[in-house]
Amino acid sequence: MSPGWSIEAEGLTRRFGDFVAVDDVSFQVEKGEVFGYLGANGAGKSTTIRMLIALLAPSSGRALVAGHDVATAPEAVRSAIGYMSQKFSLYLDLPVRENLRFFGGAYGLWGTGLARRAEEVLELTGLRDQADEITGSLPGGMRQRLALGSAVLHRPSIVFLDEPTAGVDPEARRSFWRLIRDLARGGTTVFVTTHYLDEAEYCRRIGLMVDGRLVALDTPAALKRTWVPDRVLLVRGRNLAGGAEALRAQDGVRAVEPFGAGLHVRVAPERWTADQVGRALAGRGGEGVAVEESEPTLEDVFLAVVGRGQPGTEAAP
Amino acid sequence: MSLARTRPGRFVARVLAISWKEILHIQRDPRTLALALVMPVVMLLLFGYGVSFDVDHVPLAVSDQDRTEASRRLALAFTEIGEFSPVGGGDADRADTLFRRHATRAILVIPDGYGKDLARGGPARAELLLDAADPVTANQVLTKADAIALAEGRRAAGAAGLHASPPLQVKVSTRYNPEARSAVYIVPGLAAYLMAITAVLLTALTVAGEWERGSMEQLFASPVSRLEIVLGKLLPYLGIGLVQLLLILGVGTNVFDVPILGSPLLVILAGLLFLAGMLGQGLFISVVARNQLVATQAGALSSLLPSLLLSGMLVPIDNMPVPLQVLSRVIPARYLVDALRQILLKGNGFASVRGDLLAMLIFAVAIVALATRRFRRRIA
Repeated sequence: MSPGWSIEAEGLTRRFGDFVAVDDVSFQVEKGEVFGYLGANGAGKSTTIRMLIALLAPSSGRALVAGHDVATAPEAVRSAIGYMSQKFSLYLDLPVRENLRFFGGAYGLWGTGLARRAEEVLELTGLRDQADEITGSLPGGMRQRLALGSAVLHRPSIVFLDEPTAGVDPEARRSFWRLIRDLARGGTTVFVTTHYLDEAEYCRRIGLMVDGRLVALDTPAALKRTWVPDRVLLVRGRNLAGGAEALRAQDGVRAVEPFGAGLHVRVAPERWTADQVGRALAGRGGEGVAVEESEPTLEDVFLAVVGRGQPGTEAAP
Repeated sequence: MSLARTRPGRFVARVLAISWKEILHIQRDPRTLALALVMPVVMLLLFGYGVSFDVDHVPLAVSDQDRTEASRRLALAFTEIGEFSPVGGGDADRADTLFRRHATRAILVIPDGYGKDLARGGPARAELLLDAADPVTANQVLTKADAIALAEGRRAAGAAGLHASPPLQVKVSTRYNPEARSAVYIVPGLAAYLMAITAVLLTALTVAGEWERGSMEQLFASPVSRLEIVLGKLLPYLGIGLVQLLLILGVGTNVFDVPILGSPLLVILAGLLFLAGMLGQGLFISVVARNQLVATQAGALSSLLPSLLLSGMLVPIDNMPVPLQVLSRVIPARYLVDALRQILLKGNGFASVRGDLLAMLIFAVAIVALATRRFRRRIA
């Protein structure tokens, strides 16, 4: 294992009978990196995590986590990592502080050290004022922060978060991600699965899972360049329908779709500029046309990946 | 950060962390705790005061060696009001055979000269031989026999124009529980019954709850080992079980005068061994069931029925059909009931309950080992 890697997976595969949940997946995660693992439900995200935290044995392939082989040194792996499972699994009937102390104890923390660390984590997660409240009475966002706090109490070098923000409101999700970035700045490697594509923008690198295979892996910007090379334009104005129809027939125009009151247009960048699109629409009866260039989103990338399976090529009609 | 440094240190830290969490759960749910501690007292009072094992039509063999008008009337007095049913002639010498064949429960022996003695104004003697293998029933039979004899004595005295003390006496002797009080008899059985139910149910629920909640997966992702989870979970419930045992004994001795003739420490040792087995049984059920509903039902059935029916608490084991007698050998409650009766009622020491203790120890070790093995760390 090269010294820079925190997680290293090589040909990782898991079968359940005939079904291949994770198919020959290989990747490396750097120390202190926030690594996003994206995919639809059932794409194999949770199965990958369970293999990496030594809950599930790989059918074939190998994984090193914090330098330990998950197949031969599961105990060492478990001591080195923190894990926050998809299902909220803290004890709802216990006070917030007791949940933290329990999970600290489960990792072998003890006495005043445990008590001090629990207070630190309460501070870190912004739950100091709720320390004595019953966990079940907290809103979803706070529970997720508490679950993350429990997972990092023993200062693991890697933390695995499986869909940590599922079912949490946007504001709470933002504050949760601030917490993740703080952790990463402190040197903790974060391996996070999500199906919220906007969240994935916060990750340094993203792996995209489709049907058990890892089909793309790069930084968000590079993924957009590779998978969505089109120029994406947002058009506003009135009487755009006629122009849109004509535009759609032009060479180098990949897509023209209604978007709110305006249009969402994707064109080949070497043939069309924003101004040219604006003029084309104005020439066909469009009034007050304004064209704005926009970044492709990860959603565009995801659709491209799922639809095409190959970077940069047009989907079959 | 203070991480327990040595391996045993971490082991203890983790077990205690789990136990402490379990205690907090119990604190948060005072109803369960109250149930576990109030139920024994209520049950004991019910059994001790209220519940009677009412019997009638007790099979009665009559050995009439007197063959007079008076002796026939005495026999009739026993059977005519339905408390006893005649099952033909009996013979005191064949009493053991008759009892063992369950041919009868009681034998009324009216000796030669009974009629003459009675006519003279007493005392006339008749003998009632009683199968007291089941002392609860025997106790009742005795009470009925006393009442009938008293009435018959008065009637005979009145007929003879005498007003002396009742001329008829029935003498019965039983051993170990001279007054055949059901509380004395029921306390060891009730201790087994209540500890079995509480221990099996509470552990089955708490472990199945971890599976349902998903926290078991969280625990498995931590360095906590299966044995640590098992021990951490069992310790607090061992404590509750022990408190139950002390409560039952306390109420038993203070309210119902149950004697503690033997060593209290030996009683506690027997209780702990029994509890360990029952907690293991609850654990095993929850590991297999993995959901609280199934665990509750399996837990209740597997603890309640055997400890009630096969422990010798209500039905003496010797009176059971042979297949059930064999089955009762793998029921720990049987050994606890026997051990408690030996220690409490007879004052016997370690040597006489060694076999019982060993049997409970074997059960406990076997079931905890089995449960720990079935406790799959890898979830799929």
